[in-house]
Amino acid sequence: MPGLSTSVPRVRSLEPSAPRVGFRELRQVWFQITGTLCNLSCRHCFNASGPRDPWLARLDADTVRRYIAEAETLGVREFYFTGGEPFLHPEILPLLGDALAVAPTTVLTNGTLIDEPTADRLARIADDTPYSLEIRVSLDAATAVENDAVRGRGTFAKALAAVRRLAARDLYPIVTATEIAAPATGPSLYERLRTTLLEARVTRPRIKILPVLPIGRCHGRGNARRITSDDLEGFDPARLQCTEARAVAAGGVYACPILAGLPGARLATDRLADALGPTALYHPVCFTCYETGIACRNF
Amino acid sequence: MQELLRARRVALLGGVYSNYLALEAALADARARGAEQIFCLGDLGGFGPHPDRVFPLLQDAGVVCVQGNYDLAVAQGAADCGCGYSDPRDNHFARISYEYTVRNTSAPYRRWLGALPPALKFALGDRQVLLCHGSPRQVNEFLWESTTPNGLLERFCRETESEVLCFTHTGIKWHRALPSGHQAVNVGALGRPENDGTPRVWYTLLSAGHEPSVEFVPVAYDHEALAREMARERLPGEFVETIRSGWWTCCLESMPVRERARGRH
Repeated sequence: MPGLSTSVPRVRSLEPSAPRVGFRELRQVWFQITGTLCNLSCRHCFNASGPRDPWLARLDADTVRRYIAEAETLGVREFYFTGGEPFLHPEILPLLGDALAVAPTTVLTNGTLIDEPTADRLARIADDTPYSLEIRVSLDAATAVENDAVRGRGTFAKALAAVRRLAARDLYPIVTATEIAAPATGPSLYERLRTTLLEARVTRPRIKILPVLPIGRCHGRGNARRITSDDLEGFDPARLQCTEARAVAAGGVYACPILAGLPGARLATDRLADALGPTALYHPVCFTCYETGIACRNF
Repeated sequence: MQELLRARRVALLGGVYSNYLALEAALADARARGAEQIFCLGDLGGFGPHPDRVFPLLQDAGVVCVQGNYDLAVAQGAADCGCGYSDPRDNHFARISYEYTVRNTSAPYRRWLGALPPALKFALGDRQVLLCHGSPRQVNEFLWESTTPNGLLERFCRETESEVLCFTHTGIKWHRALPSGHQAVNVGALGRPENDGTPRVWYTLLSAGHEPSVEFVPVAYDHEALAREMARERLPGEFVETIRSGWWTCCLESMPVRERARGRH
């Protein structure tokens, strides 16, 4: 995937033949806060994040604050911070506080960097705001063997420890899993994770399941089909998150968090207000959204 | 949007969810407190027993109703209740509740539900009040206290030219004065307790004044009788437990963390 810097000039209509959907209204704003810098290299990562040579640069704090202020004027419903691993950003905690002063905010993490002091600080941030701080911790299977084969050695134990730390502080994280390691038979991934969390004495387990996306390290997975105009006949486009969400990443504003950083999905260079027009459904991952009805938002 | 009367004091009832015993008690209480008009913000069926029993009570009391997602779904015979859950556990219980409600709502009442307006506006003194079920833009939008930013509420007020915005759908009441001086009110629900460990339910009184005043009114009713009827109708034990204990046992997975932390489960 190509790298982008914030100096890239405005780009539009790189995919002129793809069907387009209109924009309804801005509900979610996502921040690709660390670009693709991550301390893990999960084998299914949709934006191929990792610890070395990130292809997408991180956002600086002032840029994030400027977009938060603009989103407030547009009546945004909620903010999301993702990456990469957001807790690698040196200003992630103050930025969460800034976002929470405006709207409910979610941070998506692999959990491996959430130690006791960080959990304490997150609890204090959550207490100081009128809005909910949601924390999503990624696990991809209900056992260490299956999970660590996807996410790396020791990640299951670290993520589960983070979930317990957060739950103990009434921050009840949402465990987010893809179906990359889901067994073909027996209880569903949802049920397996629920059982695992309850056995680990995690009270109020919360779980969100997502499909594997044919992009990043899973590029080419599945039939790689693209949406056609015929697919949209009789289809309610409100089911697509690109009609109500935008993602801010290095280089500007993009159609959705999955395509953040890709030139074909870039809609504006420096203002959300310039990115609220139609979106080209040009990528195979658009078909995954269309087919499965998934949304990256929490609920 | 339908525009109605001018009033000084009104009662606002949130989701009834077939709880005809709580409805009966709330109607009597609202009249005793001088409500000139009673409104219901939708979701008349679901969760509780014998959905047909709420309609005569509403009609005899002249309650003006807004259509909720449940009402629309039952009227249309939709595949599901349209509550907007995304979690398998939430959807499991929602399906049981919806299938029971559809099965036990008679055709004339389904037609009546289908004719309800999606929103209403009226004048409370010199202030414009908007009533809707979820939000002005989406019948099943969850406007929880901890996930509804001021900027969004101000926008709703601007777009609907309203000074007081009233809604329900989440089942838990809250009230906020906005920086502009406008107000947002989730009127709560009559159908089930609000996850606070008591069996009481709530409705809202709205009164005109220099600034409109909002009062949340607790309603005690024969919840044991309702629980027994629910058990006789073979509704899930989880539902019955909520009516008795006041703690939610389902519909928890779409609840934001702040509200979730206040409950037992």
